[in-house]
Amino acid sequence: MEDPLSLIPRVTTKLFSLWIKATYPFAAAGHDLSVHPTCLVSRCIAPRIHLGNSVVIRKDAWLNVLPEATGEFNIKIGDNCLIGAQNVISAKNLIEIEHDVIIGTSVLIQDHNHAYEDVTRPIRSQGPMPGGRIRIGQGSWIGHGVSIVCNQEELVIGRNSVIAANALVTRSFPPFSVIVGNPARLTRQYDPSKRVWMGATARQTAAVDVVCSGEIR
Amino acid sequence: MSTGVTRRAQNQDPLNLGPRLLRRLYTEWLRRTYPFVSMGSKVSIHHTCKIDRMKAHRIKLGSHIRMEKDSSLGISLPPEQEGDPVIIIEDNCVIHWRSQIGAKNLIHIERDVLIAQDVLIVDQNHAYEDIHTPITDQGFTEGGRIRIGEGTFIAHGAAIICSQGELVLGRNCVVAAHSVVTRSAPPYSVLYGNPARIIRQYDPLKEEWVAGPVRAPQTELVP
Repeated sequence: MEDPLSLIPRVTTKLFSLWIKATYPFAAAGHDLSVHPTCLVSRCIAPRIHLGNSVVIRKDAWLNVLPEATGEFNIKIGDNCLIGAQNVISAKNLIEIEHDVIIGTSVLIQDHNHAYEDVTRPIRSQGPMPGGRIRIGQGSWIGHGVSIVCNQEELVIGRNSVIAANALVTRSFPPFSVIVGNPARLTRQYDPSKRVWMGATARQTAAVDVVCSGEIR
Repeated sequence: MSTGVTRRAQNQDPLNLGPRLLRRLYTEWLRRTYPFVSMGSKVSIHHTCKIDRMKAHRIKLGSHIRMEKDSSLGISLPPEQEGDPVIIIEDNCVIHWRSQIGAKNLIHIERDVLIAQDVLIVDQNHAYEDIHTPITDQGFTEGGRIRIGEGTFIAHGAAIICSQGELVLGRNCVVAAHSVVTRSAPPYSVLYGNPARIIRQYDPLKEEWVAGPVRAPQTELVP
C-alpha cells in the first residue's frame, strides 16, 4: 500500500530522470532509469558514464569522472543496480559495477586517490595518483558506509559478495565472500565444492592482514 | 575527487547557473547578516550548510573557502558567551558534503586543507559517566583543541576527535578514508585505520617517503 502523498516525490524523480536521460549525452542509458533530483551528475561528464537498464540512483549521490580520464567510458553501472543515498563514485580509469548490485548509503568507490608525495605543495594542488581499476561482481551487496579505494592495478570484488558496514576495502576478494572491518578481511566464504558457507580459514585471514598492514594499496 | 577540477567542469553546464546563483546569494546573505569575526573574499557556502547565526561571532573564515551541501559548523557553547573564535578556517579550504565541525574550545584549520565527504572533526565529546542521567542530558566533556596543518587532506568518512589536551596534525598529512584520529601526528604523515596509526611518513633526512613512523622532529619541517 503506497502513501498517496509519496506520489509527489515519485513524480519529481521520474521527471528529472526523463529529463536527464533525454538531454544528457550518456555513453548509454537504459530504460527505467531513476535518478533523484539532488544527485550530482554533471552534464559534461555524462559521455563517460554507461548506465544499464532499471538503474536507481538515490538522493545526494555523486557520480564523478576526473577531467584526466581517458577511454570510452569510465563508470559502468549494470542492469538493476541500486546506488544508495549519499554515495560517491569517483572514477579516473574504470569503475565497473556489474548487474544486480545493491549499494547502501554513504558508500565511497574511488579508483584513484590524491597524490601527496610532493612535500613542497599542499595536497590539494597535487592532483590525483595514476590510480587503478575497480570491478564489483554481479549480485553483490555493499553495506552502509563502505569505502572501496584502489590506488593501483585492479581491484575485483567477486560475485555475490557481501561487504559489511563501514568496511574499508583496498584489495581484491574472491566470489561469495563476506568482508568486514577496517582494513577489510574475509570472515565467511562459500565453498562451491562442499556447497556450504564456511568461516574463513586462519591462513586466508592472516594473508589479508599481511597485505593490509604494509600500506594502503 | 579533485574538487577544484570538478568545480570547473560543472561550470561548463549553462543550466548550472541557477544553483550557482543561489549559492552566491546565500553567501552574500551570510556576509551581510551573520556576525562572523571575519569573512574573507570569494567564500562560497551552500544554502543547506548549517551555521547558527547566534554563534557566528565565534567563527573566523578566511578567503576562497568552499563549503558544500549539508556541511555544518557547530559550536557547543551558549550563544550569549563572548570570547575568542573557536572555529578558525584559513584560506583555500574546502569542506565537502555532509562534513561536520563541532567546536567547544578551538578548532583551527590552516590554509589549503581539503576535507572530503562525511568527515567529523570535534574537540569535545558527550559526557557519559553519570549513570543515573541519560547521556543526552549530561552535556559535554571538557574537551581539547585541534589544529590541522596546512595542505592536509582528510579523506571520506574520517573522524578527528580530541577528548583532552591538544591534537595537532602537521602540514601535508593524509588521513585515509574511515580513519579515527585521536592523537597528534607530525608533518607529512599518512594516517590509516581505527584507531589511526602512521603507516607512511616523509623522512626529511633521507628526503624520501618511508613506511611506518620515523623519528621526525615534532617541529615544523622546512622543505
